[in-house]
Amino acid sequence: MTSAPLLIKVSWRNLWRNPRGTLLTALALGLGLSLLLISLGLLDGGHEQTIADGVRFGPGHVVIQAKGYQETNSDELLLSARVVSSSEAFLQSDTIKQLVRGVSPRLLATGLLSSAANASGVRIMGVIPQDERAVSLIPQRMIAGSYLSNDTPPSNGRPSAAVIGIDLARKLEVKVGSKVVLMTQALRQPGADTRNSSGDEMESTLLRVTGIFRTGLQAVDANIVQVPLPAAQSLLGVTGGQVTQVALLLAEESDSPLVAKALRRQLTDASVEVLTWRQSIPMLAQILGLDHAFNYIMNGVILAMVGLGILNTILMRVLERHYEFGVCKALGLRPGQLAVMVIGESLALTAISLSLGLVFGLSIEHYFATSGLDLRLLFRRGLPPALVFDPILYSRLSPNRIVWSVSIVFVMATIISFYPALKAARIDLPDALKVL
Amino acid sequence: MEWAVELMDVRKTYRTGPIEVPALRGISLQVGQGEFVATAGPSGSGKTTLLNIIGGLDRADSGEIWVAGQNLQLMSSGDLAYLRLQRIGFVFQTYNLLPVLTAFENAEFTLLLQGVSASIRRERVEKLFSEIGLSGLENRRPAELSGGQQQRVAVARAMVTEPALILADEPTANLDSATAIALLDVMEHLNRATNTTFIFSTHDPQVMERAHRMIRLQDGQIVSDEARANPGNADVASATRSA
Repeated sequence: MTSAPLLIKVSWRNLWRNPRGTLLTALALGLGLSLLLISLGLLDGGHEQTIADGVRFGPGHVVIQAKGYQETNSDELLLSARVVSSSEAFLQSDTIKQLVRGVSPRLLATGLLSSAANASGVRIMGVIPQDERAVSLIPQRMIAGSYLSNDTPPSNGRPSAAVIGIDLARKLEVKVGSKVVLMTQALRQPGADTRNSSGDEMESTLLRVTGIFRTGLQAVDANIVQVPLPAAQSLLGVTGGQVTQVALLLAEESDSPLVAKALRRQLTDASVEVLTWRQSIPMLAQILGLDHAFNYIMNGVILAMVGLGILNTILMRVLERHYEFGVCKALGLRPGQLAVMVIGESLALTAISLSLGLVFGLSIEHYFATSGLDLRLLFRRGLPPALVFDPILYSRLSPNRIVWSVSIVFVMATIISFYPALKAARIDLPDALKVL
Repeated sequence: MEWAVELMDVRKTYRTGPIEVPALRGISLQVGQGEFVATAGPSGSGKTTLLNIIGGLDRADSGEIWVAGQNLQLMSSGDLAYLRLQRIGFVFQTYNLLPVLTAFENAEFTLLLQGVSASIRRERVEKLFSEIGLSGLENRRPAELSGGQQQRVAVARAMVTEPALILADEPTANLDSATAIALLDVMEHLNRATNTTFIFSTHDPQVMERAHRMIRLQDGQIVSDEARANPGNADVASATRSA
């Protein structure tokens, strides 16, 4: 089209007929894109953080456990030592090793923890401290004393070490160095001779609190007591190196299905189930899904506002220049050329808006990605317990998200500009030139 | 003889809801190539409608309109747009230059739409600007030009494609009398120099004096059509300078 340079020139210059108006509109639309980018960055960052924290306070990205445990939560469903060693061997293979950051076998049971002052129902976690450090966040959240150590002998006459949550410590009125008694029912293991086994019998052991942690999660801080795995196995009467689960922490959350699938293929034993975090913590997955849906609606509202802004601006510009378009048409400009001129003007405005939006949006996003958004400033009375465990929320905006956001605004602006363009193209000449 | 413009029993009625306003009631006329014709009449007499129908900007309800050998009533909107671009020039009452383009760019607008090369565009616009006293104003935007200068740019825009016919709807209505006479001098000069047919509408008796042929309209009908043997004239160069 030989007239294309002329139409582009006219479109561009038309934008600057009212520079203040154009800049204000571009700024408003740019802020819309900024808001979209910031919102997506914080959303993705929040979700990434929530998943990272959620899995590290729970069963990891992938968990291997006895079949039926997820459904029944029965402490008596244990993994055999053979499955544990087979899993660990597989996870050391070259293809999988690079995807896995930590593997922690755990023995889980319920019990009663008593001090001189009080008693409380607890969830007992027998762990290998060094392995647990690589998987769980609890070792990083010690606020008094220290976390369990592999050097601590299981039992040589002295009480075994234990770490408990801050809420539990307050309830029991204990501090680092205090002694507590952990009482539980020995596990009845399938196939074991009940006459000779210790199943059903109450067992207790003296523990010394060596550390107190605070995670911010009430369910963890008020219920969890971690002890070395041998001590837990001894207390629960578990023999042969059995554990309840093996928790895996991966380098990338997105690899969860891949690793779970590989493990399922490897562990053909029918008594084993391998679950991703979405299956083992379905509530977290549901909450994130709900949050995603809500945020998509919010982003839809932002996009609608941006779209209406573009439509309003371009439509007003077209209506204001009704006569001018009539003259252009009278001079021989074809309807299609008029439409191209209007669409060109709209796209030029969108391009300016997107540039401003990217500069503002990515600058603020960069700040939130590096310095974080301190949620304590927003929630002075305490953080909501559900989603974010770390009070500093870091934005994470992938290049895909940026491309998606810019593309969707651009495509939307293009589609929206068709209406004013059509209106300009269909201008009735006698009416535009006011024949009567 | 083939007329530059020929109308046969042309009728046009505007309808707004139940109200019907007859604008043209059986107009027939012939205009030869190179004529310098004025149409006059009171407001609502049908002058603008007549020009719009001759220019293919509006369609008649009935009758035949022949321009440059083509029957406008049988042409599509696209064909009419092409005819306007190639064969007809327009000068509007309120200049209607594109405010974002300079005087030079406004004048070359239709040439650009025709796909004429840059060198020919420059040559033609510079020649016209020189003839009608616009040299040196090429880079000014319409807002930086006087009314008379803007209307001369509009005439240049209409003339630059070397059309067979120029239609001007009250081209002097917004100009003071000296500027109006200067503009008419320019139009008349171009008419003589290029043999381009001019048809313009006016209320102004001073302007009517300059027409070679005077068509008077009233209530959508031609009430008189007289050729003027000795229309008023003036020195083009001096009038151009005084604008």
